[in-house]
Amino acid sequence: MAPGEKIKAKIRKNLPMTGPQAPTIKELMQWYCLNTNTHGCRRIVVSRGRLRRLLWILFTLTAVALIFWQCALLILSFYTVSVSIKVHFQKLDFPAVTICNINPYKYSAVRDILSDLEQETRDALKTLYGFSEMKSRKRREAESWSSAWEGTRPKFINLVPLLFFDEHATGKVARDFVTGRKRKVSGSIVHKASDIMHVHQSNQVVGFKLCSNDTSDCATYTFSSGVNAIQEWYKLHYMNIMAQVPLEKKINMSYSAEELLVTCFFDGVSCDARNFTLFHHPMYGNCYTFNNRVNETILSTSMGGSEYGLQVILYINEEEYNPFLVSSTGAKVIVHQQDEYPFIEDVGTEIETAMATSIGMHLTESFKLSKPYSQCTEDGKDVLVTNIYNAAYSLQICLHSCFQTKMVEKCGCAQYSQPLPKGANYCNYQQHSNWMYCYYKLQQAFVREELGCQAVCREACSFKEWTLTTSLAQWPSVVSEEWLLSVLTWDQGQQINKKLNKTDLAKLLIFYKDLNHRSVVENPDNTIPSLLSNFGGQLGLWLSCSIVCVIEIFEVFFIDSLSILTRCWWQKTKEWWARKQSPRCPEASLSRRGQDNPAIDIDEDPPTFTSALRLPPAPGTKMPGTPPPRYNTLRLEKAFSNQLTDTQVPDES
Amino acid sequence: MKGDKPEEQGLDPEPEAPNQPTEEEEALIEFHRSYRELFQFFCNNTTIHGAIRLVCSQHNRMKTAFWAVLWLCTFGMMYWQFGLLFGEYFSYPVSLNINLNSDKLVFPAVTVCTLNPYRYTEIKEELEELDRIAEQTLYDLYKYNCSNTLGAHPHRRRRDLGRTLPHPLQRLQVPPSPRQARSAASGMRDNNPQVNREDWKIGFQLCNHNKSDCFYQTYSSGVDAVREWYRFHYINILSRVPDGSPSLEEDTLGSFIFACRFNQNSCNQANYSRSYHLMYGNCYTFNHKNNSNLWMSSLPGINNGLSLVLRTEQNDFIPLLSTVTGARVMVHGQDEPAFMDDGGFNLRPGVETSISMKKEALDRLGGNYGDCTKNGSDIPVKNLYASNYTQQVCIHSCFQESMIKECGCAYIFYPKPQDVEYCDYWKHRSWGYCYYKLQVAFSMDSLGCFTKCRKPCSVTSYQLSAGYSRWPSVTSQDWVYQMLSRQNNYTINNKRNGVAKLNIFFKELNYKTNSESPSVTMVTLLSNLGSQWSLWFGSSVLSVVEMAELIFDLLVITFLMLLRRFRSRYWSPGRGSRGAQEVASTPASSLPSRFCPHPTSPSPSQPGPAAHPALTAPPPAYATLGLHTSPLGSAEPSFSVCTAGEP
Repeated sequence: MAPGEKIKAKIRKNLPMTGPQAPTIKELMQWYCLNTNTHGCRRIVVSRGRLRRLLWILFTLTAVALIFWQCALLILSFYTVSVSIKVHFQKLDFPAVTICNINPYKYSAVRDILSDLEQETRDALKTLYGFSEMKSRKRREAESWSSAWEGTRPKFINLVPLLFFDEHATGKVARDFVTGRKRKVSGSIVHKASDIMHVHQSNQVVGFKLCSNDTSDCATYTFSSGVNAIQEWYKLHYMNIMAQVPLEKKINMSYSAEELLVTCFFDGVSCDARNFTLFHHPMYGNCYTFNNRVNETILSTSMGGSEYGLQVILYINEEEYNPFLVSSTGAKVIVHQQDEYPFIEDVGTEIETAMATSIGMHLTESFKLSKPYSQCTEDGKDVLVTNIYNAAYSLQICLHSCFQTKMVEKCGCAQYSQPLPKGANYCNYQQHSNWMYCYYKLQQAFVREELGCQAVCREACSFKEWTLTTSLAQWPSVVSEEWLLSVLTWDQGQQINKKLNKTDLAKLLIFYKDLNHRSVVENPDNTIPSLLSNFGGQLGLWLSCSIVCVIEIFEVFFIDSLSILTRCWWQKTKEWWARKQSPRCPEASLSRRGQDNPAIDIDEDPPTFTSALRLPPAPGTKMPGTPPPRYNTLRLEKAFSNQLTDTQVPDES
Repeated sequence: MKGDKPEEQGLDPEPEAPNQPTEEEEALIEFHRSYRELFQFFCNNTTIHGAIRLVCSQHNRMKTAFWAVLWLCTFGMMYWQFGLLFGEYFSYPVSLNINLNSDKLVFPAVTVCTLNPYRYTEIKEELEELDRIAEQTLYDLYKYNCSNTLGAHPHRRRRDLGRTLPHPLQRLQVPPSPRQARSAASGMRDNNPQVNREDWKIGFQLCNHNKSDCFYQTYSSGVDAVREWYRFHYINILSRVPDGSPSLEEDTLGSFIFACRFNQNSCNQANYSRSYHLMYGNCYTFNHKNNSNLWMSSLPGINNGLSLVLRTEQNDFIPLLSTVTGARVMVHGQDEPAFMDDGGFNLRPGVETSISMKKEALDRLGGNYGDCTKNGSDIPVKNLYASNYTQQVCIHSCFQESMIKECGCAYIFYPKPQDVEYCDYWKHRSWGYCYYKLQVAFSMDSLGCFTKCRKPCSVTSYQLSAGYSRWPSVTSQDWVYQMLSRQNNYTINNKRNGVAKLNIFFKELNYKTNSESPSVTMVTLLSNLGSQWSLWFGSSVLSVVEMAELIFDLLVITFLMLLRRFRSRYWSPGRGSRGAQEVASTPASSLPSRFCPHPTSPSPSQPGPAAHPALTAPPPAYATLGLHTSPLGSAEPSFSVCTAGEP
């Protein structure tokens, strides 16, 4: 025996066998409760009276339950954010400002391409509403007839004719009003010819019918007002035609920067068309963006107020407007970030002619926390939709991209008013005969959220927005009108060779109202230290416990108890094995068995290490006489431990 | 629990005395036999750190004093901190959260009014009479001959005023006393009004019931005065229109709204509901709450919003009542009434107005955290509108309530309860006096409406901004006008002023939600309390329970001792001596109860002596290994029944 082990054995002999070396779980628990720093446990052991003890057990368990509950609440509310709003006062970068004429292309330039469509529309108007051309237009119409494309007359226009729907008729009888002459031109269409409608009651609505390839499945689109019907129908055909025109030609047909911008003034300094960059929008033609990071510099304003913003006078030539595509006159302006796509269609502010429109801006920046605090995305890279726009991610870009991608997927071609994805081309009748039906179906599915775009697209985490305040004033004033118009006419001599009228001009002022800018920043509400300190507070409040206590509990309840159980079980098996295998000294084993069994039975305890190994006959004979002890009564424990010190050491050594 | 304890312990010593042979196990609740024991036990087992040192270090006065000071200091610190924490919690602080959400949005309700009040057939004659008197007044005051605009009956003008209306419009000198002004006005009637224009005010007189108190409702501008005066009489005439039977001329959607589209689809009759506003004429509310399916916007932009073409011609309008032309539009929540006065937007004819909206929501915490109401049920004002609670609804209801109380009749612009009728000066002579007085009181908030009406807890607002463009364009106006007039069987004669176009759409689907959340919750409060407690005291809630147990034990022991003393003194001497013996417990008699049946057994006597040193020796530091025997020794000798049996 090594000296170290000798000392160990000696110590073991002197000390009662408690703690992790305790022979039974009950003793282990008693040892733990007496020695732990956790409040309540000690009281369970030392209190006298069953009720008292029960109450202390209840108190302790309640405290433990409360700790768990409160800590769960703390963890659940961990990912909350608090918002701080800061107001800065600094020199602000001027945003990019995109200006478009509402009319996309000069009608004189585009009329050649659209002459057929125009003629058709006029026919429709005539048959539908008996609308005849005004005298002033006669000349132009004749001109357009002569210059119409003779050889390559597009046949697709008649594919989707405007129809009358009788609202009261149950079967929705559709009547085609297209004249017989037209019918000959487009002999292949499926609609049955019928009478030309001359008299129309108010209960009839106008619309058109879109069919899929095999014409078995048709959808009708009706409009409460003829104006809407005509415009929508025109737009549909217009997109078909324009989809086939190459981009350079379209740019040439639209307005040049010099034409649109008569004067320009920024931050007290004169500017001109060179400060604007071209941006071609499918539905608005040539748009011009001011301050679009031209030479990698972003202009900024040093002062707030209308004097230090952008002041432009726009030339809006009302004569060149397309009568069917657009019905209002003016320009559209949008304020956006330099790398943001200008959604003119959606969020542009309109500017009226013969008016000075002042737009005051106020900048608000927002920063959100991304995962796990919210579902927003930093740069859109983790969104499954590919960005078909050449611009930074935004929710709207994602929705449009998603729709366009689905469109290409389902219909085989791309919608005209959005950019082209890779490898696709815009829809037109000649290649995709049923795209319109497909498009309208898809549009409805999109609105009803059946395409899943709304679920896939997530909002961006940080964005800037400019709150706009618009005010109007009559411009130019009656007294200044005369000289102003003549000066501007002289200025624009080379671009415009006509005398300017005041309804041809619009004045626009865009400026920062003040140089305060507000930023809304989200911060995590809880940090790991605060969470830990809250945990500590809860543990301390209910049980005066600490992490060490928790480790202790883990050690006692899991490691030690398990080891004791294993030891018990191992001893039992060993004993059982020994008994079964070699009844070498039958006397000893017999007597042991005979003495032990009754005590164990009365005790209702499972045979434990101590009871199994108890040797001396004297306490054994006494045991049946003593009443079975209740759980962890103190006197009995004392008796046991006294005896065990005697009995156990020889056994183990 | 504590309720039964005294009961049990009260019974313990006596009834259990007879059946001592069966008393083998631990009692339900056991008590110490003396204060000394109790304190010994407490000192050995308490978990309150300072208390051990304070109470249990008896042998060193210096130490005790030191610990007492320390204990008091930490105690004070802790309760000071507790006070701060509780103070913070009970001030109910809130923190503001701004959430940026993006969702499919429900399109708000949109109300469009014609700005074209009607002339009912029932009151047509009276209105004509009013017009005539107005003309007369205008002529008298301003020498304005208005035969062109109002001259329906030029031959009757300035002659035979059949019956004069009360409260005539007068010119007054400033600053006059009311009676002088009246006489002066009548005397100066023939003067040129242009002379000394600054010194004159236009107004009309209002008196209370017995004419004892009068005042002039005056205006600096004649236009305002005439309008207000006309409006006052117009209200009177309207109040005579019987309830619920205004024979409106049958007006369909078509005659005011030429075209209507939402989200690329045309709308129909089911999408709007019609109502009538006394000042703004016919009103159409789109997407109201009783719509079967509400409109949703899934994309921002003009194409995904509401687009209307409106007729803005004023054919039968009342020139003195409404001086604007166009239409009035208002965006409001589905369950709110449209207060066209408060939040409207005027549309110019001949112009396309594009109104872009941005939604913003505000959620306040109710209850202790802020002064707001969830649904208005706890507001002492009855909601007269058939809609949800808003502050505006409440204020209007409140005004109407006080109007009915003060003046006895209801103001016509607000809804009225069933049993009250609208004000009319032929029935309620002094209502004008009363109304204007009340309005002054209302705006000075002496009616208490603004304090009674609390803010609703959740508010949704729409920020609007508008852009304008000329519509229709020169090139397209021919066919557009032609088409509109063909379609609606109505010729638009004054072209540009006859129509207006309106687009309402969401600018973006992102919307901001400003919400409040409690910045100190119960959980964080408890955590903070716990940290403070641990820091200063190292004790826990269970320590408090220990203290409570100690106090309870003290009380019970005192009670028992008193009881026994009482018994020993006033009871039979034999029993009394026994009782006295019980109380005077000695270490020798402190044998545990359960060993009583086996007094001869040698082994249980062994721990008996072991207990003695524990009593006399100073208490060892708590929780040492050897200690667990000593509390046992001292804890055991408790049960008095047993000792009583021994001798």
